[in-house]
Amino acid sequence: MLLSEEQDVQDTEALSEDEVDELLVEEVSIDGMCGVY
Amino acid sequence: MSITDARVDAPAGEFDPTRAWRVHPQVALRDESFGALAYHYGTRRLLFLKSRALVELVSALDRYDSATAAIEAMVPENERAQYTRALARLAKSEVIDVH
Repeated sequence: MLLSEEQDVQDTEALSEDEVDELLVEEVSIDGMCGVY
Repeated sequence: MSITDARVDAPAGEFDPTRAWRVHPQVALRDESFGALAYHYGTRRLLFLKSRALVELVSALDRYDSATAAIEAMVPENERAQYTRALARLAKSEVIDVH
């Protein structure tokens, strides 16, 4: 499990500021759904 | 437009945390298990707010004189920069606006 925990830390450190912000807010395009309704 | 109007209305998308903000009147927030969906009826943008704390902050913005005051009251100090950027992102998408 230690390896897994270390990997998690490395993954977090590798995230850019923008990617961290994406954890809070994400915009989704719905343009392709125009024909659905 | 009067001089007062020009002063009060910030350009869309420009986030000044020293001003008072609110959920845009054309935005509907729907609570979800992960946070909330925000849909803007004017721009037809759909955004995920992926934190309950962020949803509570956004919903409470209109009760504070500035976004900074809301953040200081509701967000732990070590997370304030991240939540400030999240609000800037929401302002850019016009989910929140100056009031």
